[in-house]
Amino acid sequence: MFPSSLAVVLTGLLMGGVALAAFYWAWRRGCFRDLEAQSRIILDDRDYRLHRPWESPEQRLDRELHYGTLEPPGPGEWGGAA
Amino acid sequence: MSTSTRPTPVGSLDRPDVDVRLRADLSSRGPVLLAFGSAIVWLLVGTVFGDVASFKLHLPDWLVQQGWLTFGRLRTVHLNTMIYGWASLAMVGVSLWIIPRLVHTELRYGGLARTGIWLWNVGLVIGNLGVLAGYNDGLEWLEMHRYFADPWLVVGGGMVGIALLVTLAAREADHLYVSVWYVMAAYLWFPIIFAVGNWPTFTGVESGATNWFYAHNALGLWLTAVSLGAAYYFIPKVLGRPVYSYQLSLLGFWTLAFFYALNGMHHLVGGPIPEWMITTSIAASALMLIPVLATAVNLHVTMVGRFGALRYSPTLRFVVLGAISYTAVSLQGMLTALREVNRITHFTQWTIAHSHVGVYAFVTFVMFGSMYYILPRLVRREWPSALLIQWHFWLVLTGIALYVIALTVVGVRQGLAMLDPQVPFQRSVEVTIPGLVARSVAGLVLTAGHLVFVWHYWLMVRGRAPARETLVFHEARPILYEPEAEGALR
Amino acid sequence: MTRIWLLLLGALATVGFAFIVLVAVPGVMLQDVPRPAELKPYTPEQARGRAVYIANGCIYCHSQQVRDPAFTTDVQRGWGNRATVPADYVYDRPNLLGTMRTGPDLINVGQRLPDVGWQLLHLYNPRTVAPWSIMPAYPYLFAVRDSAAVRPGERVVTVPGEHAPPPGRVVVATPDALALAEYLISLKRDYPVPQRGGTGDAANGRSAHTMP
Repeated sequence: MFPSSLAVVLTGLLMGGVALAAFYWAWRRGCFRDLEAQSRIILDDRDYRLHRPWESPEQRLDRELHYGTLEPPGPGEWGGAA
Repeated sequence: MSTSTRPTPVGSLDRPDVDVRLRADLSSRGPVLLAFGSAIVWLLVGTVFGDVASFKLHLPDWLVQQGWLTFGRLRTVHLNTMIYGWASLAMVGVSLWIIPRLVHTELRYGGLARTGIWLWNVGLVIGNLGVLAGYNDGLEWLEMHRYFADPWLVVGGGMVGIALLVTLAAREADHLYVSVWYVMAAYLWFPIIFAVGNWPTFTGVESGATNWFYAHNALGLWLTAVSLGAAYYFIPKVLGRPVYSYQLSLLGFWTLAFFYALNGMHHLVGGPIPEWMITTSIAASALMLIPVLATAVNLHVTMVGRFGALRYSPTLRFVVLGAISYTAVSLQGMLTALREVNRITHFTQWTIAHSHVGVYAFVTFVMFGSMYYILPRLVRREWPSALLIQWHFWLVLTGIALYVIALTVVGVRQGLAMLDPQVPFQRSVEVTIPGLVARSVAGLVLTAGHLVFVWHYWLMVRGRAPARETLVFHEARPILYEPEAEGALR
Repeated sequence: MTRIWLLLLGALATVGFAFIVLVAVPGVMLQDVPRPAELKPYTPEQARGRAVYIANGCIYCHSQQVRDPAFTTDVQRGWGNRATVPADYVYDRPNLLGTMRTGPDLINVGQRLPDVGWQLLHLYNPRTVAPWSIMPAYPYLFAVRDSAAVRPGERVVTVPGEHAPPPGRVVVATPDALALAEYLISLKRDYPVPQRGGTGDAANGRSAHTMP
């Protein structure tokens, strides 16, 4: 099976190389600036400040320190029944 | 709280974030409810066809008198209904809800989207009735008639895509979140691969290669893409924290796009197509480790320290299990693509088990979780019954676990029996029977779960839960904004 | 990533690349697949039978490909005397390669079971010839008539045992059943791998899927 594995590996390296090159190009073009802000775009003020019953007191305190007073969640907030 | 305070009106400058959400949800309500309603009808239809087909495999003389009842047609209707009916329309619903939310504006061309969904449904009815009548294009996953049924899906899906694209163009968000990439790319990919797969001129092994170029990409570039888009939204949303590494999301998306599309020939390992094509697909299957790990790390590490949420959130229960199943089915798929494993598993019930881990334990679970989150925000009520949600969850989890374990075990035994030329073919059939019976039982369990879910959905949209005057989840909390209420209760 | 166009073009590029690699390039390469002299195009009867095969979903349990004996045991099991090659499928539109072996591979079934009578009996009810079989019965491809009402030229199928028709009645094959049986017995790929001038695995006598 050795020749077959070699073919797979070489093909893989070639494909991976192309992918990495494209990635590098995009990076140089500045596509990856400010990723942190991008990941937070789905979370608004209310999301941050909801009181979540599964969080530990430390997690809740952390949330409160960063975002302010916590709000109670609505009934069925997490996708379930009240 | 002082009775003289007036609630802060929704839509005021004090709560612009709530206002945006509300506008998005109100605008997508009609099309999303249509998509979800259609999807659950197809879920029930597909479940019945699946059950009957499953029983026929170990009761081969049952219901054989009519052509439209033969296994080869019922099974096809089951597959097409589940892929293009349940999964696709649930995904259309999720897409139409999630894009306006992600780009912070109302859905545009909602009427066009609704028309598209109707056309899609028409195409499915024509296609499935056609299959039952014996009109079959002869290509797995593409059996529906390419001239009488498929164009309805292409036009209908295109209309939904246009509505999403126009909404995207009118965006009021600075950045495009990763879920936008997955969802929008899916709507670009699907019509292309569908057209290529259905192209009538391919012959011989070229027809085989094109067939699996399509079918695998229907899994990877349509079903997986939208489902991952949903998972990337709901997990951080419910948890209230961003995904672990946005850089990994980027890597995951583009490597998925690049490598997944090349995987198709791993359905034909050992087959009569040029060796280099098979090798390419095996290599691409192995390289899928990159996007799969990137996604796994992102979705699973984001959950670390917060697994308690699974007790409180049915959405997370379904979506997180779905995401875990995605990782599992992808790793399984990579292994299965390797020649040494494939020579045992190819052509066996292992493949059926694998496909159900993907389309059920991953895609369907993510869709269930998404619907549990979205519905209340559309009909402005919470789900009526926590008990019905529990029943649904445990029934379908038990059902799919039994399904997958049973067919995987007998699939390996079947493969090993077929591999030994001294063992008669009869033996490979006999070893599968217990698994086929177990799978029928699992199918009944899944059916029960689906009936519970659809019943609950019905109760929900018929308004059997207490309605609320203020809008749930969009409710402004006046006490927090009233200066006089300082020191008041949280 | 604020550019929609970059996203859409990038997505187009990735699927386009896969299309080129897995559809376009092979399409061009496979133009040169030689038509084997020993393989005839399907006759109208066989083509009709192939359509019946498709309409009834036979592909969901039966494959039509023999894999390399160096890789696995299809040949040793007796499903063909060699691996199948692209040339064996030049007249197949659409392909019926299949992905399940709930039942045996069929690409050489005409070599193993060339009797139309056996095929018809098996189609009527597989358990008359293989009690362990889970293949569906296809009675709707047949008609049960009074023995006196059999028309000239109709093929009567003698069904033994518990599946036999009531006394005085016989099972008769419909044209669809006959066509399907004709198609099945036409499935033979037992000739040598076709040679052709020029480069390529086929010209070198190797099956398409042995590695150099």
